[in-house]
Formats: sequence, structure tokens, C-alpha cells
Amino acid sequence: MASELALEEIFSRYKADPFDYVDVHSVHTGRVTFKAALGQEVVAPSGEWLQVPGTPLYEIDRERNPRLVGSQVNGIVAAVETQLDGCFVEAGVKLMTIKHPLKKKEIIENILKDVLFLFPAPETAKYFFAMDIQSRIDKKGARAVSVEPGDEVLTMSLMKRDTPIYYTGERGVIYSVYFKPGVSVPQGEPLFGVCAPEKLPLIQKIITRVKAEWDSEH
Amino acid sequence: MPTTAGSGANRPSRTELLHKLQRELEAPDLAVFGDTCRVGRYGAFVGSVIESHSQLPRAMDYARSHIAELALKGRSAASGTVILADRLSQGKGRFTRSWHAPPGGLWGCMIFADTLLPRWRGLMPLATGVSCCQAVREHCGVEAVIRWVNDVLVEGKKLAGFLVEGYREPILGEEYALIGFGINVNNGEFIGELENSAVSLAELCGGPVDLAGLTTTFLAKLACNFGILLAEEEFFLREGRFSGVAGRHLLLQRWLALSDSVGKRIVYGFDVVTAPQYQAEVVGIDEYGGLQLRHGDGTLTTEYSGEIRYL
Repeated sequence: MASELALEEIFSRYKADPFDYVDVHSVHTGRVTFKAALGQEVVAPSGEWLQVPGTPLYEIDRERNPRLVGSQVNGIVAAVETQLDGCFVEAGVKLMTIKHPLKKKEIIENILKDVLFLFPAPETAKYFFAMDIQSRIDKKGARAVSVEPGDEVLTMSLMKRDTPIYYTGERGVIYSVYFKPGVSVPQGEPLFGVCAPEKLPLIQKIITRVKAEWDSEH
Repeated sequence: MPTTAGSGANRPSRTELLHKLQRELEAPDLAVFGDTCRVGRYGAFVGSVIESHSQLPRAMDYARSHIAELALKGRSAASGTVILADRLSQGKGRFTRSWHAPPGGLWGCMIFADTLLPRWRGLMPLATGVSCCQAVREHCGVEAVIRWVNDVLVEGKKLAGFLVEGYREPILGEEYALIGFGINVNNGEFIGELENSAVSLAELCGGPVDLAGLTTTFLAKLACNFGILLAEEEFFLREGRFSGVAGRHLLLQRWLALSDSVGKRIVYGFDVVTAPQYQAEVVGIDEYGGLQLRHGDGTLTTEYSGEIRYL
């Protein structure tokens, strides 16, 4: 459980620097050409279904198949690994960093991610809650639904292949849900955050304090 | 779980199945492998065990119980085990949709020990749709087509549906894919939401269809197409490309030849029946079977799950 001291440190950090620094990595192997420059403002995908791609960041060419990769967040390009421009890179190599200004809601979510047990996506896929969990959420809301290890909690859907996902983590209530049905979640990203019953007062304290202290600023 | 052993009248013999698979390997598009035996060797697991039941609640549930029971004894289920049922009393489609499965249809599932690399697992549902479409065309002469991902349609009505469910057996931790199939063959009566949207082969052919023969053909096609999945994976790991035209996956080539989705205006949704999301035009499928779509403003996106309906 995060201590009072650790929380103070977290609050101070966000007060001093209310930004996220989002690293952008190569999506696969290939030759990289940068499309965004240091200091450039970039925007996230937009449109009703996020069908309008974000600002182009780099192009990666594998076997004469060029792929343009766009920004997933709003912000400013804060660092570019310019020495890699035109070079062949392996998958997962850091190419640039985007400085993303955090909104109050994002600050709360970020702090909560330090406190909650985060259940990650096992594969890049679309997810929906298991029928039993969903009906309990519909009736009482997610924060009234508790889960424990071994519970069938989600269904992972990929190319009409549905795989039940069993919960592995600490027992508690589903406090935050980070996915939307029908929206793809990258592998390793959190799907939901679980709060152990004894941590609930701490969570409430975090939310109250962020709302109070960041009200005038964001 | 209440089950009863079927008469076996509709159960194909293993020998007949392997003979059929042998003939499948003569398909001209398989020549790219040079040695087509590799496809046969990889696909021959299909039907390693064939169980026949007169009735099951759901074949997928039975398969899970079967795997779990064996695991309790420290054993693994045979990959390729096919579970057939004359009738399913609690058949279901995706989400909360019902699937009416009375006597006369081809209902069941196959247990596949999932040894495919994760990135190619998405092609399993496509292989299943391709197998059904090929079987129906060959056995009945019916011009069936595939709607992404793997619905098999005739004249816009649904002839067959498939569902692939992953299952990690909890004791030994082995991973399986359960390939569920439902093909309307001699069952002619559809109820509820299926009344105007489903069709059977008997209806299309003007009389009963040889169910055992169709079952054998379908399983032989399934063996060949799963053989292609595994052989193509090996080919890719060795050559850095697939064996089809311009390095394309052979299974995707087969899918494209049987599907009428490309070029269609569609409505897309994760659950398109209850929550349609947007309209677009299908422009192709990518190397993982993802559906490539062009939107009204010209932008392109690719969907890897969900479903479509034609406009």
C-alpha cells in the first residue's frame, strides 16, 4: 500500500511537472524516417471513430512496405533520436518522446495507477467483461463488483476468436476501467484497476485532494 | 453433463477422412509448397478422434469438460478431436445470440492444441469459414460466399456460423482453441431472429443432403486448411515470407477467392446487431486477416475483431 510519504512525493511531482512523457517506439523492424521534428506540436487521432490518424511521427519501411505511424497523444515533441533517421532499427526501439499536458482527470488516473492493482491486456485485442461480471456491473456499477483470483473476468476477442481471461491479482473491487468495448487495447496496457477494500479510504483521499488542489490550475 | 452416445450414422471414418485429405492435397494452389505432403502431415491431426453424440447442451462446453477430465488424470486431450452432436439443446452464437441446432444439421467442435504462434492465431477462424465454403460448393454445388470474418452465406442468408474459443486448461496449463461449427444442412425450420436470415442446404438443394458425406468433406477441408496454417507458419519462419502470390499467406488467398466482402459498403460494429458503429467500404484484408476499411472522409482503418453487415 502506498504510504502517506510516497503519496506526498507523487503529489509534489505532479505539481512541479504536470506532464506525461510518452515514449514512441518502433512498431516493428525496418528503416525509419522521421516525420516530426523537435518542438513540433502533434495531435492524437480524432473523428467520431478516431478514424483520422494523429500527426505523422515517423515512417518505417520493411520489405518495401512503408508504414506511417501517427501520434496517439496531443503534445509537443520533446526529444527525437535523430541519429536513427534513415537507419534500420529493431522492433521496440525508442524513437522520440512526446510531452503531453495532463488534465486533472488524467492526473487522478495516473496516481490511481500507482495505487491500484492493474490487470494488463494479454494480447492486443478487443475486450469485454464476462457476462456474469457485466450483469453485476449493469446492476450495481463497477465499484460494487469484487473479483478474486481465478474469476472469469473478461473475454478477449480477436478475429472472432473469443478467449476467456481469468483474473490473477489481489482480491478487491473493480475501481477503474480503462477499456471500452469495441476499442482495441495494446498488449500490456491496463484493462482495469482493482482496489483492495483496505485501500478505498486512500483512494478517496487522492481524488479529493487532486480535485481541490488542481481546480484552479486545469 | 447429460450426454448420450449417437448412433454414429453420421460419423465419418478416419480412413475415409484421410483419403479425402489426400485428394485435397492435389489442389493446384498447393503446388507452391513443392512437397504438398507437408500440408497433409500438418493437417492430418484433424479427426484424430471423432466422437458422436445424439444430443449435447453445447459442444464447446463438452469439449472443455472433456479436456478438464483428462487433465485430472494427468493426460491431455488429443489435438484434432472432433465432437459431433445430432442436436444441441443450448447452442449459442456470439454475445447473447441463440443458435438453433435441431437434428439434421452439422453441429460440433474440434479441439486444437493451440501451437500456432500468437500472431497467426487470428487466421484460425478464417480457415474454418474457408473449409465450410469449399465443402458446401464441392459437395452440394451451392455458390456459398464468406462474409468477414467467417460467416458463410448463400443469397444473403446465413448457412453456417463458427466460433473459436480459447481455453487454458487450469491444471496442466495447456492452451487449446475450440473450433465450434454449425452448418444448416437438413434442418429446415428456423425460429425467432433466424427465421428470415438463415437458410439450409436442403432448402437450397430441394431435398435432403448426405450429411455424413458433407461432414467428411468439411473435415477434410478443415484438415487441409489447418495444414496450410501450420505449413505456412513454418515457411514464413524459414523464408521470411509466405508461399502465395507476392508473398501472401495461402489461406488468405483462398479466403479472398471465396469472399464477397471486398468492395462492399458495410456497417461495422463490435456487436453489429445491437450496437452498429459506423459505415465504410471494404478495401481488402491485411496479412493477419484484419478488415481494411475506407471511411467517408477517405481515411483508412483496419479492424481485427467485430463483425459486419452488408448495406
